[in-house]
Amino acid sequence: MVDIDERWKKVLWLLGILISLGILAFLVVFFLRFEAGRTFRAEFFNGRTFRKAMPYVLGGLSLTVRLALVSEVFILVVGLIIALARISKNPILRALAIVYIDVIRGLPLLLQIFIVYYGLAYLGFKLDPFVAGVAALTICYAAYEAEIFRAGIESIHKGQMEAARSLGMGYMQAMRYVILPQAVRNVIPPLSNEFIALLKDTSLLSVIALAEVLRRGTEMMGKYYNVTPLVCAALCYLMITLPLMRLVQYVSNRLSEGR
Amino acid sequence: MNFMVEVRNLHKRFGHHEVLRGINLRVKPSEVLVIVGPSGSGKSTLLRCINGLEHATSGQILIEGVDITDSRVDINAMRQKVGIVFQSFNLFPHLTVLRNVTLAPIKVKKMRPEEAEAKALQLLKRVGLEDKAQAYPSQLSGGQQQRVAIARALAMDPDLMLFDEVTSALDPELVKEVLDAMKDLARSGMTMLVVTHEMGFAREVGDRLIFMDEGEIVEEGKPVEIFTNPKSPRAKDFFSKILSHL
Ligand SMILES: Nc1ncnc2c1ncn2[C@@H]1O[C@H](COP(=O)(O)OP(=O)(O)O)[C@@H](O)[C@H]1O
Ligand SMILES: [Mg+2]
Repeated sequence: MVDIDERWKKVLWLLGILISLGILAFLVVFFLRFEAGRTFRAEFFNGRTFRKAMPYVLGGLSLTVRLALVSEVFILVVGLIIALARISKNPILRALAIVYIDVIRGLPLLLQIFIVYYGLAYLGFKLDPFVAGVAALTICYAAYEAEIFRAGIESIHKGQMEAARSLGMGYMQAMRYVILPQAVRNVIPPLSNEFIALLKDTSLLSVIALAEVLRRGTEMMGKYYNVTPLVCAALCYLMITLPLMRLVQYVSNRLSEGR
Repeated sequence: MNFMVEVRNLHKRFGHHEVLRGINLRVKPSEVLVIVGPSGSGKSTLLRCINGLEHATSGQILIEGVDITDSRVDINAMRQKVGIVFQSFNLFPHLTVLRNVTLAPIKVKKMRPEEAEAKALQLLKRVGLEDKAQAYPSQLSGGQQQRVAIARALAMDPDLMLFDEVTSALDPELVKEVLDAMKDLARSGMTMLVVTHEMGFAREVGDRLIFMDEGEIVEEGKPVEIFTNPKSPRAKDFFSKILSHL
């Protein structure tokens, strides 16, 4: 029995390797030999365009990262406040929080960006695009992160709150010294994933003339009539997101080991 | 006569379920009152009402003469006078034993950290755990955790201590160390309300015992008298069951 299983495993392995090699061979032949392949290469992986566009697109990365980091600070603060309102005993606060969370999560982020930037401009508040971008991202992501905070807080056994209150601590003291420090380790993994999503969503701010990575990529695409600058933009995002994803995975594993 | 605790016609309802049906109780300073009764009879709810974790549906609860059911009373200030120890310990797992004990004195009483620590070490010594000050709760046995919980409650200098089946979650060999800490506390003159099934403890330390069933106090008297000679059929039934285990 065991022998047959082992043999099958080996056969499957071999089959997998063969199929991979086949696909690779096909791609190589396709790119090098056929007309369509050559066109694809010239449009997507054009060396000359790459060398010209990459430095400019890469230059947008600092704005992308700044937008994400500055927004994240506000998102954490606003998200926590909304989460506390969401679980408060005051029915008005709770209702306001529920409405906010549901409405915001029910709207496309792009629409929220337009409303903050163009909508406020119609009212006579001409916001700086950076400020408008940070505001729109904060408004949107705070709703999602509020739900993460709420889940984190509610995952702490209610005996913890009772023990803290029975020692004479007020509700806010108990939150600050007992509940939140324990909730933090539960919310770090989901919040990190939100941060990666946020980093990618800063690309939507290209519509309000912020010269971040995607905006620069599309500008260069128009200039060179070539898709290669978009590939440059893709590489820029991956340079940040791939290591971040590994880091999140590592930290999550460490946190669940330490339990 | 000034009572430490006076409960007047206390009712507590959860929805339509009436858990406490007119409790009257007076506890003198330094008295140790043992509360027994079958599961679901309302013992925990009574203790939780006495330190304000549950709101009374009607009736009054006076702690040192102050009615805590009055909404104008500062419940946080009242809770400092009433310590409670739970069946499930509820230590703060992210803090060391020492920080568990000093947290409330520092944050609530605004005690200086050095002073709070000196006091905490003294209390930990009293429950036999001074060498565990830097350990985390997860590194302690159940009996040790429960003794830390007692020290943590005592750190607020309460006038009254409530114990809710504090040995029920413990392995049998760990029960004694916790009961010994409680006996020591009783001898020092602390007023205590103790919900327990430990009849040996009740007999040795209890000044008075009440038997509760279905939200009412059914019998009240000296511990030995009640469990050697219960009058009501419900108490007879209950004690015949638990004493046969001894
Ligand atoms: N928060 C609550 N909500 C609804 N019912 C409750 C709540 N707490 C206790 N009860 C009910 O009240 C009754 C008495 O509970 P409890 O005071 O814990 O009894 P005991 O401690 O004597 O076992 C039980 O029937 C229990 O289900
Ligand atoms: Mg109980």
